[in-house]
Amino acid sequence: MKNVFFLICCLVATVSQAQSQMPNVQLKNLDNNYQNVYKDYAAKDKVYVFSFWATWCAPCISELEAIKENYAAWQEEVDFEVVAISIDDSRTMRRIKPMINGKGWEYEVLLDTNQELKRALQINNIPHVIVVKNQKVEYVHNGYAEGGEEELFEKIKSL
Amino acid sequence: MVKKIIFLLGGVIALSTSATAQDTINEPNKIQGRFFGGVESNSQYYVDDPKLGDFLYEDRFRSNNYINVNYNYGRFTAGIQVEAYEKNALLNYNPKFKGTDLATFYLDYKSEKLDITVGHFYEQFGSGLILRTWEDRALGINNALRGGRIEFRPNNNISLKALYGRQRSGFTVSDGHIFGFDSEFYLTDYLNFEKSDLSVGASYVGRYEKTDIVDPQFSELTNAMAFRFNYYKGSFYASGEANYKTEDAVLSAQNDINGDYVKPGSAYLLNFGYTKSGLGVDLTLRRVENMGFYSERIPENLGDNNSSLNYNDRILNYLPGLTKQHHSNLANIYVYQAQASVSYLDVDKMKAGETGGQIDVFYNFKKGTTLGGKYGTKVAANVATWYNLPGEYRFFPQEYDTEFFGVAQKYFSDYNLEVKKKLTENWRSAFYYVHQYYDKSLIEGGDVVKADVLALENTWAFGEKQSVRLELEHLWADTDRKNWAGGTLEYNLNRNLSFYVWDIYNYGTDKEAEKNHYYNVGGAYRFGAWRIAANYGRQRGGLVCVGGVCRFVPENTGFTLNVSTSF
Repeated sequence: MKNVFFLICCLVATVSQAQSQMPNVQLKNLDNNYQNVYKDYAAKDKVYVFSFWATWCAPCISELEAIKENYAAWQEEVDFEVVAISIDDSRTMRRIKPMINGKGWEYEVLLDTNQELKRALQINNIPHVIVVKNQKVEYVHNGYAEGGEEELFEKIKSL
Repeated sequence: MVKKIIFLLGGVIALSTSATAQDTINEPNKIQGRFFGGVESNSQYYVDDPKLGDFLYEDRFRSNNYINVNYNYGRFTAGIQVEAYEKNALLNYNPKFKGTDLATFYLDYKSEKLDITVGHFYEQFGSGLILRTWEDRALGINNALRGGRIEFRPNNNISLKALYGRQRSGFTVSDGHIFGFDSEFYLTDYLNFEKSDLSVGASYVGRYEKTDIVDPQFSELTNAMAFRFNYYKGSFYASGEANYKTEDAVLSAQNDINGDYVKPGSAYLLNFGYTKSGLGVDLTLRRVENMGFYSERIPENLGDNNSSLNYNDRILNYLPGLTKQHHSNLANIYVYQAQASVSYLDVDKMKAGETGGQIDVFYNFKKGTTLGGKYGTKVAANVATWYNLPGEYRFFPQEYDTEFFGVAQKYFSDYNLEVKKKLTENWRSAFYYVHQYYDKSLIEGGDVVKADVLALENTWAFGEKQSVRLELEHLWADTDRKNWAGGTLEYNLNRNLSFYVWDIYNYGTDKEAEKNHYYNVGGAYRFGAWRIAANYGRQRGGLVCVGGVCRFVPENTGFTLNVSTSF
């Protein structure tokens, strides 16, 4: 059985280049509207940064704060947008609205309350960032360390 | 059978990757098939510890592995998850997770208006007080329903769902039959609201389980229903939920039921808030009575006073403890678990549920103000307090009659303050203070504990890509294991590689055997969707909680390896 498992892991490693697009999943935003993470983020040549976070995830908040510091300046340079996907469940989801306003974030926030999108993408740890351009996944990164936002922006610029 | 499935799958993957590759070249506009999924492996090798004691269980090497593979073609998606617990699941996971087997499978058809799933599916109605199925690998929860679900959205304002299934338990399903219906109506357009927004919803969950009891006072079909609303106008918002569960047998302290002791259950949730730029205030109130809801009435007896209840097995609804989730190690020693069920521990410890609430305030002192300084200052305060339901309780024979308003014995409270500030371009600092009251005797047995936690966190960035994080913390407790001190040092070599060491030391305890360092040292490498982490250390015995749901783990020492990726 173990061998079989190992075999699968190898197979997975070989097809792991196949990731190409966001799944066809609809999530609500804070205005109670459904947004399709594949179809509704498809403006030509615009870069979308899907950042998975939660109100209880300290490094996620650090990353989004760090992006916020440079957001206006960077947006002048490149046509890009951050979409903050909260995986808070019903325990903590009520903190989202006051927290983002308290912090003065201007990102569009989508609610993945029962982790439908997180499961579809098999995201195990947050923060997790997926960069999409022309409906294709161009870059994936997980975790955040100080200054990680600079590297992310370099990546966005290079697309 | 599993082997066959896996090999078949392997073959399919190999064939279709080459096929898709060709499709891409020849016909770029044609619908392309697409594989996606993920792999996660968490292994631990347990060692004998000179201070904490020898490893007393079988299988020193234990490993939880998950492989999830899906294939999408146009409107159809199919997927499976195989799980392997070899030789055994990690310590104190549900013993029903053993060996390697097919865990979940599904086939889904999705169009603009219709979404049909057969096989295993995850669902949540409202905030989950009567139905939530989800997966949490850290807690060993996967209570997916196996059956069918239809979701219909004729337009943007109406969503209807109907489902039937039996709930996953270990690698099989439980005996109860679950029926569900959920509706949500977005009324803003119909009511011609311009500046406000209103949606309402109603749901139903039925659980049918045969009983051997002759002439029971409860019906074999238990019905639960819920109504909810969600409203906002400008900076103000409010939402609420009322849930009711029809009369059903109440579980006794011996985890048994009889045909005569039956009670209905209820849960009410109210939430208000006000937010504008730089300020957020949020208040949540909740009252829950007898809302333990499982797909089988009687928990499975696993021997040695152990039952499926200890693993959140067959749980149908989601009743998280509504408190702030702290990230400091010491603030997680006394954690509150929601008291949703009827539970009689002693003549003076009779519980029928919980009532209480929490309030959050977030404030941002802007840049350039006195308190804001050059970079601004962020403050968050939270107060949560939870009580037993007031009323008349009789120990034997068991009976109770609660009052709707008011409170009885206090279970838990948590008052906390968090201040975060960027001091210079390369230095960020955070301060946390937490005051907790925890009546352990009412929840897990023990003392009434009053605890204060102080934590100071600093992060410095230097060089091109490096940073160091240092967190120092202390806990003062008047009883139980008394005082603790702790520290965490984390070094990020670059964006991908980090190392850490932390230790919490129970120096204040009266018992020599408890005077332990619980240390942990490790590192993580992250690249793309990959994360590989290894560590060695001691696990403090107690509750490990994720999202307000907890799992008990015994003290242990060992090496851990976690590998995960998605594709």
